[in-house]
Amino acid sequence: MDNIFDDIQKRFEITDIVKQDKNLNFLTCKKELTVSLITHLKNIEGFSHFVLLTAVDWIEDEKFQLTYILNNPDKRIDIGIRTYIDRGTATMDTAHHLWEHVATYQRELKEMFGIDFPGSPRVDEQFILEGWDDIPPYRRDFDTLKYAEETFFPREGRKSNDPAEYMKKKLYPDEEK
Amino acid sequence: MSLKNILTPFIAWGNITKDPVTVKDPLNERPGAERYRGFHKNDIETCIGCGTCEDICENQAIDLVPVDGIETKDGDSGLRPMVDYGRCCWCALCVDICTTGSLTLSNEYTWVSEDADDFRFIPGVDKKSWDDNEKGWKKPEGNYEFYGTKRVHMPELHAEDRDKSFIEFVTGYSKQQAEEEADRCVECGICVATCPAHMGIPEYISAIRNNDLEEGLRILYDTNPLPEICGRICTHKCEEVCSVGHNGDPLSIRWLKRYIADQNPSEKYKEILNSENVENNGKKVAIIGSGPSGLSAAYYLSLIGYECTIYEKLPEAGGMMRYGIPEYRLPYDQIDKDIDYILSLGVKIEYNVNIGTDITLDKLKTDYDAVFAGTGLHLGRSTRIPGSDHKDVFFATDLLREISLGKEIQVSEKIIVIGGGNVAMDITRSLARLQNNKFGKVDTTATSLESEDIMPADREEVVEAREEKAIIDPGWGPTSIEIENDKVKGLHVQKCLSVFDESGRFSPKFDEKNTKFFEADMIVESIGQGMDIEYISKETRDQIKFDQRGRIQVNEYFQTGAKWLFIGGDIIQGPDVIHGIANGHKAAIGIDKFINQNG
Repeated sequence: MDNIFDDIQKRFEITDIVKQDKNLNFLTCKKELTVSLITHLKNIEGFSHFVLLTAVDWIEDEKFQLTYILNNPDKRIDIGIRTYIDRGTATMDTAHHLWEHVATYQRELKEMFGIDFPGSPRVDEQFILEGWDDIPPYRRDFDTLKYAEETFFPREGRKSNDPAEYMKKKLYPDEEK
Repeated sequence: MSLKNILTPFIAWGNITKDPVTVKDPLNERPGAERYRGFHKNDIETCIGCGTCEDICENQAIDLVPVDGIETKDGDSGLRPMVDYGRCCWCALCVDICTTGSLTLSNEYTWVSEDADDFRFIPGVDKKSWDDNEKGWKKPEGNYEFYGTKRVHMPELHAEDRDKSFIEFVTGYSKQQAEEEADRCVECGICVATCPAHMGIPEYISAIRNNDLEEGLRILYDTNPLPEICGRICTHKCEEVCSVGHNGDPLSIRWLKRYIADQNPSEKYKEILNSENVENNGKKVAIIGSGPSGLSAAYYLSLIGYECTIYEKLPEAGGMMRYGIPEYRLPYDQIDKDIDYILSLGVKIEYNVNIGTDITLDKLKTDYDAVFAGTGLHLGRSTRIPGSDHKDVFFATDLLREISLGKEIQVSEKIIVIGGGNVAMDITRSLARLQNNKFGKVDTTATSLESEDIMPADREEVVEAREEKAIIDPGWGPTSIEIENDKVKGLHVQKCLSVFDESGRFSPKFDEKNTKFFEADMIVESIGQGMDIEYISKETRDQIKFDQRGRIQVNEYFQTGAKWLFIGGDIIQGPDVIHGIANGHKAAIGIDKFINQNG
């Protein structure tokens, strides 16, 4: 795998190479060069299979991290391409022209994170969240608990205890303050 | 239709002899991946029921529930997490935050039951087939922590900068340090039960995080009117049960308390604590002794309108806090800050008054609606070994008092201290400083019955004493003091094999063949203190109950058999400051009830 890195390192300004295990490496690439790098890896380096595209919300850094995983079936190796995009604009170049099913992943990320991929087929259509009217739920500022409280009824019979209050009741019940 | 279209379906037949690429046998077991996040497991012996799993759960899937056979005790709420799988999303945040590491996820993800309530159970208690499954999700090792596991170091003077003087050597947290330390708290509240005063510890730590130190001060004063003092010398039992301490350093609860008190200026206390207009209720309470219990009782009584007068035998207030704890640990101006605020509420102190001789207790009974006595343990206890009555054999309490009174005490070149508690460390370190000043070197050795691992002194006291060049040589029982030509020559000891018997009673056992001689020209005994209750008349004493060991019996409000007399502090519990404060607070509530019942 090292010779691939030597070749693409300068051309695509890749950084942060992480050798996760012998068959899986991650690298980081600038947003502008990411789709070009993926094209190169597919066409020149034999990473002909697109495995997945996923995202992480680094809300403190005001960034989304996108990770594309590609597979080279001949060499049986995987490569993960990471890139960071601005959380405010949340827009990334589409890669559906390389593999058709990338569009499905991009549509999912639009729905779950609000990341747009202009030009990607059906990217604005609902994916699994039918009738969703809140902020995208995988964004870290989405309040899961609040949503659950407002949306679902509580199961009957549930009761919890605060440890400090419970210990007071058990260990020093008569004390007043 | 082209030929290709006709032939294409038959091309698939070409694969019939090839190995399938899919997994065979989908009907049977499909184990989860090595680190798959499946159903929970909990080691209930390790779990302490701190509830951080419940707090972090974004779906409210966890309840803390009592479990038969698990006792509520110091450091363990007795509760255990129950998971509602109707809500769990398998994110494993509960595992990653778990303070003891007891909670994990198995990699089992399939389970069928027709009863929806089966999907709500207590992992580790309600037995499941995956309980022994080693695979699944555990908190990753390394630097993957949701809270800091290392405590923020408290700045202090180096030994060489402090071992000649009595200046305070613990310098206190800065704002940044305090907030960083406070940020490690998981706010479980396990510590509250262990604190004798049941202080609102998570709440005041939270106030530091929120940079609301006035609110922090209000929380401190709810249960403790001596925060500058306790913030420095509290025995901090709360830290021993801190849940964060199971996987790292416990929170520096004591130093955080000190930070709040240090940052609030005394002139703003009345405004912050809303005590500017306290109405007098016309009732009077006499308090004997201005130690922690007396001051605490006076504070809480004065807040509800009682006119309190404290009678103090010594020239200044504070009791053992001033006359027993060295200034390098507890500076006098900080004692004054706490006491001055209590006095500002109208509490009076009559100094240099000996109850029993200057005024009788019965006179106080007549002049006041109730009396609280917190007279402490000021009498030194002797080993009573041969030679212990020599003039160069002293009690630690007497020497510490003399030092605080500013008197010059005898300081010899070679000193042995007998005792392994905090008082022994206090006198050892005080004498080491005085020796260093007088002779330019330290030659003080402390020896105790208890071996190093069970010495009753706080660990940091032992460490700091050694830093100051005192020698701590524990695990020896004194047998005699050698006197030659009326001069102390040293202390004979024998190896102590054990201090307590199987039932926990004091019953030391020795190896008489393993002996040692400590050379010394001065010996200090610090093996405990006794009470002096000569001031209680026989008539009153007859109404008070004593147990078989001569200890005074009181009810939950520290009320004695003589209903008008309440007794608390070191005589009853402790000995330490925080028990005294808690006793005084409870006694104040009891005195209020008693006086109200008596019209």
